[in-house]
Amino acid sequence: MSGIRLERVSKRYHGELVIENLSLTIKSGEFFALLGPSGSGKTTILRLIAGFESVDSGRIFLGDQDITHTPINERRINTVFQNYALFPHLNVFDNVAYSQRIRNVPKNIIEQKVIKTLKTFHLEKYIYKAIHQLSGGQQQRVALARAIINEPEVLLLDEPLAALDMNLRERVLVELVELQSTLKTTFIYVTHDQFEALTVADRMAIMNENGEIEQIGTPKEIYEFPISSFVASFVGTSNVIQGSLELAANVARVVVQGLDVFEAALPKQRDWLVQGGKILMSIRPEKIEISKKPLEGFANHIIGTVKAIVYNGRSTSYRVRLPNDMMIQVFEQNEEHFPQEVIDYEDQVHLYWQKENVILLEK
Amino acid sequence: MSASVLKFLEKARTYFAFIELRKMGTFFFALPAIMWQVLFLYVPIAAIITMSVINKVAPGAWYSLTWQHYHEILNPLFLNIMWRSLLLALCTSMLCMTFAYPVAYFLALRATTWKNTLLLLLFLPFWTNFLIQVYAWFFILERNGFLNRVLLKVGLITEPLQIMNTPSAIYIVMFFCYLPFMIMPIYTSLEKINRRLFEASYDLGATPWQTFKRVIFPLSMSGVKTGFFLVFIPTFGEYVIPAMLGGGKTFYVGSLLSYFFIDSPNMHLGSSFTVVSGFVLIVAVVFITIMFKWLMRLARG
Repeated sequence: MSGIRLERVSKRYHGELVIENLSLTIKSGEFFALLGPSGSGKTTILRLIAGFESVDSGRIFLGDQDITHTPINERRINTVFQNYALFPHLNVFDNVAYSQRIRNVPKNIIEQKVIKTLKTFHLEKYIYKAIHQLSGGQQQRVALARAIINEPEVLLLDEPLAALDMNLRERVLVELVELQSTLKTTFIYVTHDQFEALTVADRMAIMNENGEIEQIGTPKEIYEFPISSFVASFVGTSNVIQGSLELAANVARVVVQGLDVFEAALPKQRDWLVQGGKILMSIRPEKIEISKKPLEGFANHIIGTVKAIVYNGRSTSYRVRLPNDMMIQVFEQNEEHFPQEVIDYEDQVHLYWQKENVILLEK
Repeated sequence: MSASVLKFLEKARTYFAFIELRKMGTFFFALPAIMWQVLFLYVPIAAIITMSVINKVAPGAWYSLTWQHYHEILNPLFLNIMWRSLLLALCTSMLCMTFAYPVAYFLALRATTWKNTLLLLLFLPFWTNFLIQVYAWFFILERNGFLNRVLLKVGLITEPLQIMNTPSAIYIVMFFCYLPFMIMPIYTSLEKINRRLFEASYDLGATPWQTFKRVIFPLSMSGVKTGFFLVFIPTFGEYVIPAMLGGGKTFYVGSLLSYFFIDSPNMHLGSSFTVVSGFVLIVAVVFITIMFKWLMRLARG
């Protein structure tokens, strides 16, 4: 197994720069997710690694081997395509056997390997079925089987769940994680769906619209400690409020014009904090306490008016208008059948949050 | 309306439920086409088959059944003509296929900037009357024609070639006139292929040649088959080109039919010849279909 390393890679399409000087290291045997909005160049990175596109500058390494100019068919990398790209003129068996026949593997060995692979993906019942006779989920498994049988060093997955319905997705995600942990192959998973990325990834990279990587980290690091307002609002939801910074001995204070002064815990890395400088603070909606009665023991407090209520099943989402006309979003767990206090439209509510739950952001 | 009448209508409706109105409507709209099929295809075929097996014994007498016309038609002279037509059709289709595939491949998968212009040029002959197309070849192929003059100028020949009124003229013009009919379906089938499949093939380790053999060619096979029959079937019975450019000396199926029905009316002999050549055509089509299947299996490895 080997990892993938991109070194200062640039790629243009029709003269337009899609990614510029991008460097990225994906460790061997890791489940890595590339998360970004459409047009962020994440698919381009995947196509460069697979070899469908060639770089304009920079190098790509598979382990220690420079594969920048290696033809697609000689790279030990396989892809699961977004719409699977299964061969319509071949049945399930022939689709899965394709790479083995290309490599002139003896017939009896091909048969053993294909049947073994199809069994892992619970497809043994469909061996001689035509592709168009299969459901979306089955086609997706054939696409995985076809790529895995080739024993690639790296498996690329390009939005593999896009064509599946919601219920199936969660199940497939769990299966993917299990598959990866048994194979120990490096998986690179491209998606625009934060839920998918957070679920499967060991580490993930967040890309912005300019084709730059904003942050790389474990799902927990990304979610709990976003380094920019883009990451904070792209992964999950976040209330990002602008203010100016006041530094004290072991606490930071954010002064928001026309509102109040809020306390925030100092981050580990604090060399970028400038006394009196402009700063953003991000608070996750689920980390805000909402109540009609005043509560004790919180560092930050503000009063607002409820403007919108959306019931989501396991939680309820409120949009609250603050005195300076800013809107803030709050999630509350629906823990009881009959909550003690019912919050309604236009109610005056108290919002509370701890200073540890405030993330300070530079941009 | 009283309730009993309504009840009666309801009962009647369930009773006649097998007459589905929607299907009746479809049938109604299809009627003109069906009438056309029956009047101009099935009735003539029935008439020809009947003509081929009956004989009028004496004026004013009843017709009698006979195999006599088939005995007459199955003689080496006529069979030779049929064989010549079959060969012409096969050669033309093979020639067209060989040249059409690369052209269609280039147009569908390689051409970018000039694609639409090239397609337009390719289909321009369809807007020209077939007869005019054939006449145009006179100016190219005749003794003082374009081809001979060019060849003389270049110095490839010292004396004008006699192409007109020879089988070569027939083959040349057949090839060019039927070429677009071969290119079009192959182009369409190649154009339809999802390009991701090529990437998938490379991704799984295939070289461009292996990708062509295992993915592109099998997926364009339906187009090749369509094109082959679009050329093979009409060229087998082609009348205009051999008649005009072959000098009328060599007979083909088309010219022989015209001879039987128009020049020296012998409806019975003509009919039996039609039935036999129809049978030969069907056998040839079945045989070619099997050949294509076999070719497909060969490509799959």
